[in-house]
Amino acid sequence: MAKNIHEIRDPIHVFIRMSTEERKIVDSAPFQRLRHIHQLALTYLTYPGATHKRFEHSLGVMELASRVFDVVTHPDAVTDEIRELVPEITNPDKLKYWRCVIRVAALCHDLGHLPFSHAAESALLPPGWDHERLTVEIIKSPEMQGVWDSLTPPLRPDDIIKLAVGPKKVKDLRFSDWEAILAEIIVGDAFGVDRIDYLLRDSYHAGVAYGRFDHYRLIDTLRILHPPANAKDGKKGDQVSREPVLGVEEGGLHSAEALLLARYFMYSQVYFHPVRRIYDIHLKDFLEAWLPGGKFPIDVPGHLSYTDNEVTAALRQVAVAASDGPPELARRIICREHFKAVYQRNPEDVELNPDAVNCIYGAAVAQFGSENVRMDSYTQRGGGPDFPVLTPDRRVVSSLSLSQTLKSLPVVAVDYVFVRPSLRDGAAKWLEQNRSSIISEAKESES
Amino acid sequence: MNRMQRAAVLLALINKLREGGSWCGETHIQKAVYFLEKLSGTSIGYDFILYKHGPFSFELRDELTAMRADGLLDLKVQAASYGPCFIPTELGLKFMKRFPRTMGVHMRTVEFVTSHLSSHGVASLERLATALYVTEEDKEAGKGVDSRAERIHELKPHIDLPQAKQAVKTVDQIIKQAGARS
Repeated sequence: MAKNIHEIRDPIHVFIRMSTEERKIVDSAPFQRLRHIHQLALTYLTYPGATHKRFEHSLGVMELASRVFDVVTHPDAVTDEIRELVPEITNPDKLKYWRCVIRVAALCHDLGHLPFSHAAESALLPPGWDHERLTVEIIKSPEMQGVWDSLTPPLRPDDIIKLAVGPKKVKDLRFSDWEAILAEIIVGDAFGVDRIDYLLRDSYHAGVAYGRFDHYRLIDTLRILHPPANAKDGKKGDQVSREPVLGVEEGGLHSAEALLLARYFMYSQVYFHPVRRIYDIHLKDFLEAWLPGGKFPIDVPGHLSYTDNEVTAALRQVAVAASDGPPELARRIICREHFKAVYQRNPEDVELNPDAVNCIYGAAVAQFGSENVRMDSYTQRGGGPDFPVLTPDRRVVSSLSLSQTLKSLPVVAVDYVFVRPSLRDGAAKWLEQNRSSIISEAKESES
Repeated sequence: MNRMQRAAVLLALINKLREGGSWCGETHIQKAVYFLEKLSGTSIGYDFILYKHGPFSFELRDELTAMRADGLLDLKVQAASYGPCFIPTELGLKFMKRFPRTMGVHMRTVEFVTSHLSSHGVASLERLATALYVTEEDKEAGKGVDSRAERIHELKPHIDLPQAKQAVKTVDQIIKQAGARS
């Protein structure tokens, strides 16, 4: 008799189980392509173990998404008020349908990633396009429509899209409270399983311990809750919005703290390591020169035709050519001739001018030429570490009112200016002499 | 409007909300900026969708985080059970004063919006902002109070019809006053 459940070994979740129907998606060309997309781009040039791919991450997100779904919809975890506000939770047919949708959406959430999961999408795609929009296009493609129709029950592509991409990136679709909660399970700011899986997986492969935390405990304590009460909402009839949101029982607060600390350390130590960042910039420069018209295609077959393999082969071929332009751009990566950091963000400069990095970058370009200088700037996205917590006496309070750790958690912000290696010493001296005149106090321009 | 100018306007808005007695959590700021965006006539640059407690901008959320990173805003919890509130830092208050022309353009609308919204809590702001959202949604059709209230209830089932109707009437008043002011 044919098996209906299939197991895949996984270093993070031990076994990932999927149905024969889900395997149709895994076996599809768009999903198999993810075997050839590095999860962390060129990070393996800095952390050699970080060669894992979007393929196994997507399987991990599916596994975690249904674990969370099962926890938050378990009858013991749901209050009467939530049953009233989210009636889907009491309907077995709807629960079965949405459990399928959330697993499939989790599988599909990264289908639109460019080669090397490249972050510089605004430079490498036409205006208005990003990997989420490509994900939407793939989910709606005729090939995948055939897969959705063949499932039991058939899944509506719009439902998959909502949960896979979330409200931030599909502004034309409207989310019900239920759909918003399910999307939050995958892409949410605080407890999204996309983040849970990538922190655990990236730290495992990079060989750093920062990303580890007790995700079992965290997941077991997730609940659908009301947001915390608010000071000025104490008047009768104007207390708290009744909108349900994803939160955690107080017993899981330390695990949630550990997740947010893991995020902070992984961002500051791995994802924003200066050498990793400059390789990303060099790759973008190469791709702009190498791709026809400097952009990746946006039609589904065109998008699927590019993986890291094609780009890596091109980098190696082009690097050995003896001329300027693309060969030099390729050699920066292949021969490790990457630019070096000459400036990085610091509190003193930011206090004088939050845009200090742009002042330094502009002056460095004027001094050394645009071909010799690169800039990188990133500030953490999303909100503060504030989420609802259910206390043992059934109150719902803000996580920040219970956790000193979360109150002190810094926002990740990095700024770098890089220069060609041969110019580094001169640039460092130049910056030391001119820093105070370059970083002027932020003020309104005269124009 | 560039990022620095936007930050200056947000700081002014937060300052005025607080002066008016608002707790000034993220929801208060989100809804006040939505009103500012719709009533000012010049876009501040945030896209709003119907999401958490009504109109919500992910870009604005990111901006508030960036302003914390830059030391212009603090996130504080002042009472055990209450959500956190945003407070401009000393640096933030100084920073704001470096943008007099931007303030000149936006301050009147900031004061108008905060004078109407500072005293409202999260639940009330959710209703008012959603009422403005449905009013803007089909502006040309000029739908009446009842149909807009029904639309609010359809979009946010936890808001009942009498509350929705009251919110639509209040928003109509605010829009009328904003029109008379300009």
